[in-house]
Amino acid sequence: MAESTASSSKQVPSEMPSSPLAGSSDGPNPDLAPSVIVLGMAGSGKTSFVQRLTAHLHAKKTPPYVVNLDPAVPYPVNIDIRDTVKYKQVMTEYGLGPNGAILTSLNLFCTRFDKVIELVRARSSTVPLTIIDTPGQIEAFTWSASGTIITEALASSHPTVVIYVCDSARATSPATFMSNMLYACSILYRTKLPFFVVFNKADIVRPTFAQRWMTDFERFDEALEDSRGGYSNDLARSLSLVLDEFYCGLKTVICSALTGEGMDEVLTAIDECKQQYRDQYIPLYAEMRAKKVEETAKRLREDAKMGDLTSEVKALDVGRVRDSDDENE
Amino acid sequence: MKCLQLIIGPAGSGKSTYCSVMFDHFQSLHRPLEIVNLDPAAETFNYTPSVDIRDLISVDDVLEDEDIIMGPNGGLVFCMEYISKNMEWIHDQLTDGDDAYVMVDCPGQIELYSHLPIMKEIVTTFKSWDYNVCTLFMIDAHFVLEPEKLIAGALTALSSMISLETSAVNVLTKMDQLPRESKKEVEDMLESDCSQLVNGVNDEPWNERHAALSRAIASVLDDYSMFKMVALDNTDEESIEDLLLMIDTTIQYGEDAEVHDRIPKEVDPNEE
Ligand SMILES: Nc1nc2c(ncn2[C@@H]2O[C@H](COP(=O)(O)OP(=O)(O)OP(=O)(O)O)[C@@H](O)[C@H]2O)c(=O)[nH]1
Ligand SMILES: Nc1nc2c(ncn2[C@@H]2O[C@H](COP(=O)(O)OP(=O)(O)OP(=O)(O)O)[C@@H](O)[C@H]2O)c(=O)[nH]1
Ligand SMILES: [Mg+2]
Ligand SMILES: [Mg+2]
Repeated sequence: MAESTASSSKQVPSEMPSSPLAGSSDGPNPDLAPSVIVLGMAGSGKTSFVQRLTAHLHAKKTPPYVVNLDPAVPYPVNIDIRDTVKYKQVMTEYGLGPNGAILTSLNLFCTRFDKVIELVRARSSTVPLTIIDTPGQIEAFTWSASGTIITEALASSHPTVVIYVCDSARATSPATFMSNMLYACSILYRTKLPFFVVFNKADIVRPTFAQRWMTDFERFDEALEDSRGGYSNDLARSLSLVLDEFYCGLKTVICSALTGEGMDEVLTAIDECKQQYRDQYIPLYAEMRAKKVEETAKRLREDAKMGDLTSEVKALDVGRVRDSDDENE
Repeated sequence: MKCLQLIIGPAGSGKSTYCSVMFDHFQSLHRPLEIVNLDPAAETFNYTPSVDIRDLISVDDVLEDEDIIMGPNGGLVFCMEYISKNMEWIHDQLTDGDDAYVMVDCPGQIELYSHLPIMKEIVTTFKSWDYNVCTLFMIDAHFVLEPEKLIAGALTALSSMISLETSAVNVLTKMDQLPRESKKEVEDMLESDCSQLVNGVNDEPWNERHAALSRAIASVLDDYSMFKMVALDNTDEESIEDLLLMIDTTIQYGEDAEVHDRIPKEVDPNEE
């Protein structure tokens, strides 16, 4: 297999990070299997969703390629950040708390992301899609330089789709629902990638309430007002008008990672997003993204803190990125 | 009047740094300031807290006990719930005089604001002790160098703030680190109306497809000047002073957030 011929020595990167585009020097290819980035708030069911979708594809005899970017959670996948960066070691050796350690681990992994892209591309003719699980702490990905680099490196290589997993059981109050949807909307604006929302845990609470709110603005407004003891808030009301606009163009899928409900609809939505990537993203984005990834990588290198990390990389001897199958060969 | 700044924002956005900058600034002004570290997972910071929640509970304690059951997030939520039920522990350590001015350095996890009632409860408790609360949402300026990203930042801030129901100021941090051109671009963006910004973006297919949504967001951001963003260059004394003046005004007017959603655009510099 292509990846097993790759360098097996544990090299240490000389600078932070090596160009994430190295693996995709031939530019974005809209025909490759899409990569699906699964985002969502802590405990929304990202990992369960990834596992369920994986099982669903296995049952169809078309197993996906799975990448885990959560340094804090062990889990059998094809590429695991934990094989490359030791989270506990990052924590103890650098006196970092759990959050700092997650951010640092992602930064460290980012230095090897060109290799991930290479592996993913090598597999893309044999797998239907690549599924990427992200850290529980969503902002470690959505508001970090490494999250930006990873997202843009993928998108400038092949079709990339963002799924926002929403915990239906925790979105039943109008305020939390609004908060969730505003966050989803902010991810849309940050990534500008094909995007859809999954209402997970449908087995606990039917997300029909969400669909009603999304199609009927007045009804949501009433619910919001009731929940605030009958007194309304100008800002919240204006924001619900904004969200009304957001919902117009939004794809949503109801699913349950527990029962497996909705998995075929998820696959259909991913297909639509892949088409959207080809039509809207390829033409104008390829060049722009390549430029931006370079700029972001440059900033990361220049960042004083990242300068320190270069020595951390050496001290920790960050492992090479490997495909878990490598071992069996 | 008792004032309180609640400092929130994503991990690494500069919350603790902001507190230490203000700590020094208040000292130079001989204004009293008490800082509460409310992050049970905090590592180090460059200010002397009047109250450090880690003396009550820390994520490490919890994780050592229950490593297997709880990931880092579960540990944090456990701590925060414990804190929200033990607010008197904080109260006892504050001077709590009529002119008390408090800053609360919070943990970054968005779930505490959006999913869970914990932060809302904590804010309500401070309000019940007669503090006028203003929320400061910190955003790393590096991440908002284009209009779409600035909108994304505003939406993220709103998703936390909508449940807190306090007056609010968004602060773009790390301005000192931006190259000169980027700094200028950010300042220009902040000076123009959001609607202007949105109309100015190029006609990529993505922007066209989302034009109506962008206009809707822009009009809300323009209408509610309480969500105006302020850039902070903490190497520039004037920038720090301007921000503090704006916050002080906001806190004062923010007594009843319902009435004062619209903050006057002009700040009278003599009013202190
Ligand atoms: N009933 C039900 N429970 C679910 C479903 N999806 C996830 N869960 C449960 O929700 C909890 C969190 O699920 P995870 O898959 O770990 O969620 P996550 O988003 O990966 O969590 P972090 O990575 O810690 O942020 C677990 O207890 C799951 O068993 C679902 O569809 N239905
Ligand atoms: N140059 C510069 N660096 C900053 C500024 N604000 C924060 N930093 C740096 O950014 C990093 C994170 O800042 P913190 O203040 O610890 O951020 P935080 O929001 O408290 O982070 P958490 O508590 O982990 O959520 C540190 O290395 C700071 O030195 C700033 O205004 N200018
Ligand atoms: Mg997970
Ligand atoms: Mg901090």
